[in-house]
Amino acid sequence: MLALLKTLQSLIKELHSDGTPLQIALGAALGAALGLTPIANVHNAIVLALLLILNVSFGAGMLAWGLFVPLGFILDPVFDRVGHMLLMETPALTPLWTSWFNTPLVPYTNFNNTVVLGSVVGWLVLFIPIVLLVKFLVVRYRATYGERVRKSKFYRAVTASQAYNVYRWFSPE
Amino acid sequence: MSIAGSAPSSAGTGAEPVLLPRQRRGIVRWKGIIPLALILLAIVVVWLTMGEALLRNTIEEAATKFLGTEVDIAQLDVSLRDATVELRGVSIADPFDRMRNLVEADRVRGVLEGRPLLERKIILRTLVLGGMRTGTTRRTPSAPAPKNGFAAATLRSLDVWAARLRKPVASFTPIDTIRSIVLDPAQLATVKRALEAASRADSLQGALVASYRGLALEPVLDSARAVTTRLKGASPRALGIDGTRQAVADVRRTIAQVDSAKKRVEALARDAKTSVAIVDDELHALDDARRADYAFARSLLKLPSIEGPDLGGALFGDVSIDRFQKVMYWAEMAQKYVPPGLLPREKPGPQRLRMAGSTVSFPKAREYPDFLLKRGDIALAVGGRNAATGNYAATITNVTTMPALVREPTRFTLSRRSTAGVVASIDSRGVLDHVGGRIRDSLGVTASGVTLPSFPLPGLPIRANLGAGNSRIDVLRVGNRIAARWTMDAPDVAWQRTATSPTAAGAVRNQMEALALRVIEGVDDLNITADLTGDIAKPTLNVRSNLDQLLAERLRTVGGEELAKAEAKVRAQVDRIVDEKTAPIKAKADSLRAEGEQRVAEARARLDDEKQKLDDRLKALLSARGILGLPGTE
Repeated sequence: MLALLKTLQSLIKELHSDGTPLQIALGAALGAALGLTPIANVHNAIVLALLLILNVSFGAGMLAWGLFVPLGFILDPVFDRVGHMLLMETPALTPLWTSWFNTPLVPYTNFNNTVVLGSVVGWLVLFIPIVLLVKFLVVRYRATYGERVRKSKFYRAVTASQAYNVYRWFSPE
Repeated sequence: MSIAGSAPSSAGTGAEPVLLPRQRRGIVRWKGIIPLALILLAIVVVWLTMGEALLRNTIEEAATKFLGTEVDIAQLDVSLRDATVELRGVSIADPFDRMRNLVEADRVRGVLEGRPLLERKIILRTLVLGGMRTGTTRRTPSAPAPKNGFAAATLRSLDVWAARLRKPVASFTPIDTIRSIVLDPAQLATVKRALEAASRADSLQGALVASYRGLALEPVLDSARAVTTRLKGASPRALGIDGTRQAVADVRRTIAQVDSAKKRVEALARDAKTSVAIVDDELHALDDARRADYAFARSLLKLPSIEGPDLGGALFGDVSIDRFQKVMYWAEMAQKYVPPGLLPREKPGPQRLRMAGSTVSFPKAREYPDFLLKRGDIALAVGGRNAATGNYAATITNVTTMPALVREPTRFTLSRRSTAGVVASIDSRGVLDHVGGRIRDSLGVTASGVTLPSFPLPGLPIRANLGAGNSRIDVLRVGNRIAARWTMDAPDVAWQRTATSPTAAGAVRNQMEALALRVIEGVDDLNITADLTGDIAKPTLNVRSNLDQLLAERLRTVGGEELAKAEAKVRAQVDRIVDEKTAPIKAKADSLRAEGEQRVAEARARLDDEKQKLDDRLKALLSARGILGLPGTE
């Protein structure tokens, strides 16, 4: 229940943050990587670092992480299949993989695992569609319900909390 | 109201939104570096406080999975500066005995090469093991290998493999109590094969009759007869030029039809011959089945075997198989983890909440393998006051998961020179050559003056305590073929009677058993030789010893005549049943042969007869071709 409330709070704050729809969309698209791909991997550390230091919505990233986790589990067999196809069933790519996985540091990416590679490829394919969809939804929201929500007591209560001050640290400039 | 890309109006002011000029926004959020630095700091703190414990658990888990038996590590120290790993209190459980450790080492120190670590490859420059002990007793039983894991599957398949090699327990049933057995014909392989052969003969006979009908001889013969009758007495003069031409053409066409029918008959003759040959083969196979049935019927009587090789297998088969089974386990492990070649290799991915998937290795020529131990030196001291007491030294080189990259076979040597006045030594050397496409493994272990195992003799209430002696095992595996020999020499064997029932220790059940026990107890020096040869999945085990040769001789002298009588009785019983069941198939084979030959001969004769008549007609017609100006015969 607490997690649900936090998610709701995060959603409301993001939608009314100073961020542009593109910043929120980019944050969500980066956060999707954390949910779609197995978390304990080097590429996710890079994604997390990008969410922190790039001027995109960190909150949208965290929200997208939570939302995309179940989707990641559901799509695992598809990712496994895609990864298997790329690693084992495409002889043209074998020299590339052989070269990559004998290069310093690259083996630590775990891209030679079918699920990791398949899910990263899946995330990259979905990156632009996620950006466009989220951007469209944010614009629509702000144009329709945004102002009414901003004037509500509920919104004031959310923004008045101490956590909001911490959150503003990571909101886009 | 705010619009996309603009700064929203202040919260709670209620003022109308104002379009502001677009603010210049930087790409980087510099203050985000602070939490990033904090996260990195947290990682460093976790590594410093818990890193070694986490690594120890990971190594334990990976080694347990790799070897298929529990591996425990008490302590782990990692030094990043000089790339060394030191393990303390390492124990590897025996996969065949959960209450025993195969090896225990107080200290294992490995020096790693730095650059390959960047490629996630472990290259151990040296490995030194100190304070090693073997065969120690565990306080708690080791965890069984995961049921679905490779090790458990290998153990299961080796159990099946060993069961296939085991010989029946030696039986020393008294011959005077042998009674007639009642054989069920359905149990006999010959009867089953005879029924199958009868069915095959029936179907071949049916096919032969159908083929004969398919020859369609009658229309050809009728046509030939009609032409011959029509032209009987007809002369070229009477027929005229056109009539003669027409008659010649008719005769030639009919002759061609007869020739074609003859070809079909010859084809039928060949088919009939093949069918007969098939049935003959079936009959020959019945003889082989009959020999198997003699052995089966003999086994029902539980006659004591008086053949040396049978006795050797029955008495010392189990103890020999145990030796080979352990070697086979490690050979299978070597094959699994040290595969030849450089093709991409797929293995199950790491266990996690998400799907594990599979992880693929892409070996590359002239690069580092995933794992390589260039050289390992093992110092092993066994304490106590037994034959194993002493100092051991072992060296192992080029242990790798990718031998095709290392291009050097794995070699190991182990030697012991005993101390404390016990004259004993152990020497072992081996090569795992998986460099080429074909596996070539060899192992030789010689142990002199060591304590040999004690074991019960199957089927007899006696136990062999071998005492000190010599043992040697040599194994050569090339591809899927194996040749292995285990020899054991116990110059001072002691025999100990055991209970056949809880109340009767050393009690003897009959005269044959008493004789066997007397012979066995008279042997002081026991030599056993076990050979395992052939395809690795289905090898042949041959065990012989001085004891079984001696035993065979004595049993043959005492009970040979009685055994021969009993065997003759069994053979007669098998022959009676088999002859009864195989007689019809023999009759069918004869009938098939006779019917085939008769039908072919008859068809040939009728066709030849008609063809002769047609040839005569043709000759008569063509004799006048010069007079009538007819064309030649061609």
